[in-house]
Amino acid sequence: MAMTARQRAKVSLYVQAGIFVVAVAALVLATDWKTIGTSVFNFAKIGPMFPDIFFSGLKNTLIYTALGFIVGLSGGLLLALMKLSSFPLYRWIATGYIEFFRGIPALLVFIAFGYGVPLAFGVQWNVTIVVMISLGMVAAAYIAETLRAGLQAVPKGQLEAARSLGMPQWRAMVSIVIPQAFRIVLPPLTNEVILLTKDSSLIYVLGLTASQYELTKFGRDGISSLGAGLTPLLVAGAFYLVITIPLSLLARKFESRSARTKR
Amino acid sequence: MNDVVHSSGTAGTRGSAVHAAGVSLKDLRKSYGSNEVLKGISLDVAPGEVVCLIGPSGSGKSTLLRCVNLLEQPNEGTIHVGGFEATDPDVDIDKMRRKVGMVFQQFNLFPHLNARQNCTIAQTKVLKRGQAEADKVAQANLDRVGLGHLADRFPDQLSGGQQQRVAIARALSMDPELMLFDEPTSALDPETVGDVLSVMRNLAKEGMTMLVVTHEMGFAREVADRVVFMDGGVVVEEGVAEQVISAPTQSRTKEFLKRVLDPTHIDISK
Repeated sequence: MAMTARQRAKVSLYVQAGIFVVAVAALVLATDWKTIGTSVFNFAKIGPMFPDIFFSGLKNTLIYTALGFIVGLSGGLLLALMKLSSFPLYRWIATGYIEFFRGIPALLVFIAFGYGVPLAFGVQWNVTIVVMISLGMVAAAYIAETLRAGLQAVPKGQLEAARSLGMPQWRAMVSIVIPQAFRIVLPPLTNEVILLTKDSSLIYVLGLTASQYELTKFGRDGISSLGAGLTPLLVAGAFYLVITIPLSLLARKFESRSARTKR
Repeated sequence: MNDVVHSSGTAGTRGSAVHAAGVSLKDLRKSYGSNEVLKGISLDVAPGEVVCLIGPSGSGKSTLLRCVNLLEQPNEGTIHVGGFEATDPDVDIDKMRRKVGMVFQQFNLFPHLNARQNCTIAQTKVLKRGQAEADKVAQANLDRVGLGHLADRFPDQLSGGQQQRVAIARALSMDPELMLFDEPTSALDPETVGDVLSVMRNLAKEGMTMLVVTHEMGFAREVADRVVFMDGGVVVEEGVAEQVISAPTQSRTKEFLKRVLDPTHIDISK
């Protein structure tokens, strides 16, 4: 019995729905809900995490991310301009830096600046400084590439039009090129902040005092101090989503705006 | 239209009001690597004169035009624009460019600014005019190109022809004494070409000095005082517009015009 294309599509839909229902049912039946309720996600254990999670975990994650972003943005801008420089040595240095820091795990950078450099040079760095340097230096490598691409994406004719109106080079950059480049890099830059937010958790390799805990460390600490199974970590995870999902939506909004118009 | 005084140094005789600047190019040479694009060009444009540069693509006419305001740096030769020697290493190039309006093939409007702001940004940042005065000048020039009612539109809300007219208004807002046009209608839809050409025609009538790279032979014949035909980096022929276009003397000019004026005439043996 031959089926029309529409009938075949309908059958396919039913089959897919059927597989889904069976899979969910199997999962529900196979799950040990009692254990999950006590040691994986225990509602009763959420309460004690508040309000501390706001004042240490969330607050420190936001501070570490912001510090890393500030260092990363300034370092990234410097590296991007070096990479576009007419002086070859600057280009080589910038390229070397970018390839190096994009090529190694951020965790190694945290260990290097948390333990290695202070030991080698006999300096004492507090946690904030280490986060700022480690997160910032890794971010600078990624942000540099984003900014370079943005500056190069502004058509050459824009600079020519500005110069032909009598604007000096710096004025043409400030009033015409950089505002357009900024609009171009806004979506990827927002994604950069999302990555930074998550990478700020790498600070766990250093010894932290309670007031320095960011979300992940706060959650891990909760596991032992509250004896609540995975609950604190899951709550911490939810807090990351509270930060990253709005950022992600923001990036998408910037993206669709710049796709619609170059304004 | 042909009652123009050609002797250089005299001000344009058509229209009034515009302070016109002449151009004088001497033995201009420009190479990209081993490729010599301009092979010793000399050309004078008198104040108030309209000169059209025609020729096949790759003949160096756009490069020549871009040398006049130093968007391209010539390797040899001298360029005089108004009272400036552009090729003098000590010249204040930004000051000179204020006197020279440029209109590009691709318009190059600033996409993050609306039509009015496109016309005011250089007025306020370069000429240091106050915002109110700059807005007034911008509005007057947008009116002049017939787009005063679209001053709040952004470039992406305008047609190609409208964008090019805003680009002309932007250049005019700096009160230039010379206007350079680099194939201003080549990127336009055919139905919007006429609007841009009529703006340029009016500008010529008002006495603006204009150097125009174009493929619009009708425009060149009607509006230009002189036509210069370039090929292979040299000036092959120049003279009164009507004569060069209707009765060229050089064989290369004849061949080019035959192809441009009758595009369906395809010679496969070439």
